[in-house]
Amino acid sequence: MTPAIPQIDPVPLPAPAALLWFLLLLTFTLHVLPMNLVLGGSLIGAVARWRARRGQLHDGELARWIGKAMPILISATVTMGVAALLFLQVVYGRLFFVSSVLMASLWLAVVPLLIVAYYSAYAVAFRGAGASAWLSWLVAAIVLAIAFIYTNNMSLMIRPGAFRAMYLASGSGFHLDTSDPSMLPRFLHVVTGAVAVASLGIAVLGVLKRRADPAFGGWAIQYGCAWFAGATLLNLVFGVWFLASLPSATLLQLLGRNLIGTSLVASGIVFALASMALMMGAGQLRDPSHVVLGAAAALVVALVFMIATRDFVRRSITGAAGFEAPRWVAPQWIPIALFAVLLVVAIALVGWMIAVFVRSGVKARDGKPAPAREGVSV
Amino acid sequence: MNYPLWALPAGGLLIACVAIVHVFISHFAVGGGLFLVLAERKARRERDGLLLGFVRLHTRFFALLTLVLGAVTGVGVWFTIGLVHPAATSSLINTFVWAWAIEWTFFVVEIAAAMIYFYGWDRLDARTHMTVGWIYFWSAWLSLAAINGILAFMLTPGGWLATRSFWDGILNPTYVPGVIARTAAAMALAGVYALWTASRSADGVLKQKVAEYAIVKWITPMAVVLPVSLVWLLAAAARAGVPVAEIFGASGAGWGTALRTILRGSTTGLPIAQIAAQVLLAACLASLVLCGIVLARRRQYGRPLAAALMVCAFAALGAAEWVREDLRKPYVIGGYMFVNGVRLPSAAAAAQPPAGTAPDAFSVEALDRTGVLPASLWTRLPAGGAAPPGDVRALAEGAEIFRLQCSACHTVDGYLAIRPLVRNASPTTLDATIRRLAATEGDVSWSTAGVALRTWRNRRMPPFVGTREERRELAVYLARLGGSGSASISAFDAEHAGGAKFFEDNCSMCHGAEADFPFDAKGRSPAALYELIGRLPSINDAMPPLEATDIERRALAEYLATLTGKNKEAVR
Repeated sequence: MTPAIPQIDPVPLPAPAALLWFLLLLTFTLHVLPMNLVLGGSLIGAVARWRARRGQLHDGELARWIGKAMPILISATVTMGVAALLFLQVVYGRLFFVSSVLMASLWLAVVPLLIVAYYSAYAVAFRGAGASAWLSWLVAAIVLAIAFIYTNNMSLMIRPGAFRAMYLASGSGFHLDTSDPSMLPRFLHVVTGAVAVASLGIAVLGVLKRRADPAFGGWAIQYGCAWFAGATLLNLVFGVWFLASLPSATLLQLLGRNLIGTSLVASGIVFALASMALMMGAGQLRDPSHVVLGAAAALVVALVFMIATRDFVRRSITGAAGFEAPRWVAPQWIPIALFAVLLVVAIALVGWMIAVFVRSGVKARDGKPAPAREGVSV
Repeated sequence: MNYPLWALPAGGLLIACVAIVHVFISHFAVGGGLFLVLAERKARRERDGLLLGFVRLHTRFFALLTLVLGAVTGVGVWFTIGLVHPAATSSLINTFVWAWAIEWTFFVVEIAAAMIYFYGWDRLDARTHMTVGWIYFWSAWLSLAAINGILAFMLTPGGWLATRSFWDGILNPTYVPGVIARTAAAMALAGVYALWTASRSADGVLKQKVAEYAIVKWITPMAVVLPVSLVWLLAAAARAGVPVAEIFGASGAGWGTALRTILRGSTTGLPIAQIAAQVLLAACLASLVLCGIVLARRRQYGRPLAAALMVCAFAALGAAEWVREDLRKPYVIGGYMFVNGVRLPSAAAAAQPPAGTAPDAFSVEALDRTGVLPASLWTRLPAGGAAPPGDVRALAEGAEIFRLQCSACHTVDGYLAIRPLVRNASPTTLDATIRRLAATEGDVSWSTAGVALRTWRNRRMPPFVGTREERRELAVYLARLGGSGSASISAFDAEHAGGAKFFEDNCSMCHGAEADFPFDAKGRSPAALYELIGRLPSINDAMPPLEATDIERRALAEYLATLTGKNKEAVR
């Protein structure tokens, strides 16, 4: 069917398209890192809480740590996601708004679902070891449902050829992108990848806790390695399935016809395999700290390449459907400069606040009082 | 038209529900931030452990409410406006992406500071803790100041309409009073929320302390600043061309007249705006009375009283937002885009796209030329197969035109129902009414800079856009909705043909489109014209009296109502 792409707004693009595109990828990467920890972490956390009920001591400690971190990770995911959504709407708004309307009822359901998951995560965090297992499972189930809705929208928005027929069938906003052969492998790839990232996060937690609690630290490294290896091996299957499900023209570009596309996908795979190799090796070492941190760095690089590959695929498919960036560009340089300056200030302020917070924890552990509780005059 | 419409009755109500909940929390997130840090400073300076304990408890409530419900409903507003009004959202994003990006930097600091302030009670020293509190407040307030620019722009875009300049758009005529009004609302809400937390305490001394602090220092000053800033905002909007008095149904200018009209009601203007204004006044009054009761029972007030105050504050803030939205009608972006996504053509002075760019297909003039149905990407008419009979097709097209142009606000039988409005109306009457929904003041071109609207009974409706064919299809569809079961295109055409033929035979030599005195109905109704043509010599003694049967006179009047001199529309 002929792609139905809305007309470009009669206002100029407020920045060079390349800058908006770069910020989209940057903010999306910053969103994906905590999002993976939330998605994968909530699943591993729920399993850990279930195992803890069966008497597994370290699982209980792990579940407590994940529960404690979850509200902060959700907050980081939402905060970074806001910026990614903003730049997505500028760069791909004409596709994204349409796909969102086609699945409007489900898309909007993300908001109440997230509120329930977020409050449940706080309940788990506040109750600590006493939190009930079903709350952890509820958080994991909701986060998984949100991931499914997001995958559908991101997958549907690059198929403008399907828009009109779907809208003619129903405008009530309950469409999913189930007719797209790449949607399911994409979802499985994303979820399994998130589990891999979160399990590496657990290994890093083990590295950080190793000195204070050697038994738990060592166990967390081994446990994270095991989850990571399993998830990454499984993801090789899902990744190949996802690649094979792409339109043939795009697939051929990734398999040699386009140098950039091929380099991106190959680099992503190489770094993911390097990360896996390091993690599997880490399990054999007496002090695997540096290797685990190296694996984490390799995984972050792999993630960046995969995000770039995802964008390459999106550009390839939407470009073939006739989607073009606006040619009318009138950069708002002063607001752009103001944004850049304020971003630096924001990073500095957040960095300072985190630093004083972390330092205060070290002081408290060293036996000094926490004066904010003491009513000290200022 | 450019985007598909989500089949949700009264989508505007959904936006209102999500937005009002968000605004009620996000304003607290600003005012409450200042309240926390100032209350903490007061407690520390006075070495008041009781008050400090209260501030700590209030911080927990504050963080859980603002970080979760406040932040996520903010995302919810984004989601909702994109779903209900993608065309407007797209325009705003393309114009103000950097305003939102700047606001995001404040948001990042705000969220981080809120978390560290909350968790920092156990870890940070007092000075650092309060510094984090100040960082929180200023980032939250700057976030408000940035978003206010976009909200105020939607009401009064000011110089942006001509210059398309970012700064003209943000620093628009209602920006400053808007920031002051929102800041005042945030401060007052901080007091109201503090009373809610204190009401849960069993300690009478603490209750008294918080009641006196919240009401005397936070709510009472804002009871003065808020109305003053709102009047300033309304005056600035009126100066910028928003017909504030008309919308409230006031017959003349002046605040006394407007206030009296709001209290008494009016048969003209926007009824919902008038009700919202009444709710606003009543809720503010009730809030002040409740504050008085809290002060009188300062050691004993409990949750019911505090909850009642919260409800009144919620109603007041919600009604104020509702009034702001209604002041904008029939625009979603003042002077730029109507609520149904139709744009005004760019003013000649505005920056123009480079050569080769496709012209705007969704401006009033473009849609009048091409028609709504051919221009829309998302019509849901049956395609292919044998063409249905004329009347069946026309009714389906009329329904589709209603969906595309009217359903942004109206439902058939629910919210702002159209059926009662068209009950027992004839297609011809509806045709003439639709044509008069809105026009430019002085019948100037839609692309004239600073164009003002003249709307039917000041109801603040957008103009009908589309071809003459589409208008009569909509009229017939609405007549059917209103109960005229026999309404059809063929009957409409026959009725019109009678009037047109009579005009052609008897009047066109002097009043035809190309004659010396082309006729212009100037928005008069068929009934007014029926009366007028019954006394032609009294209008101009050169005119002969009308010689016609009553049926012919009625048909002529209906036809005349469709004629406009300036637009020289093609009449049937």
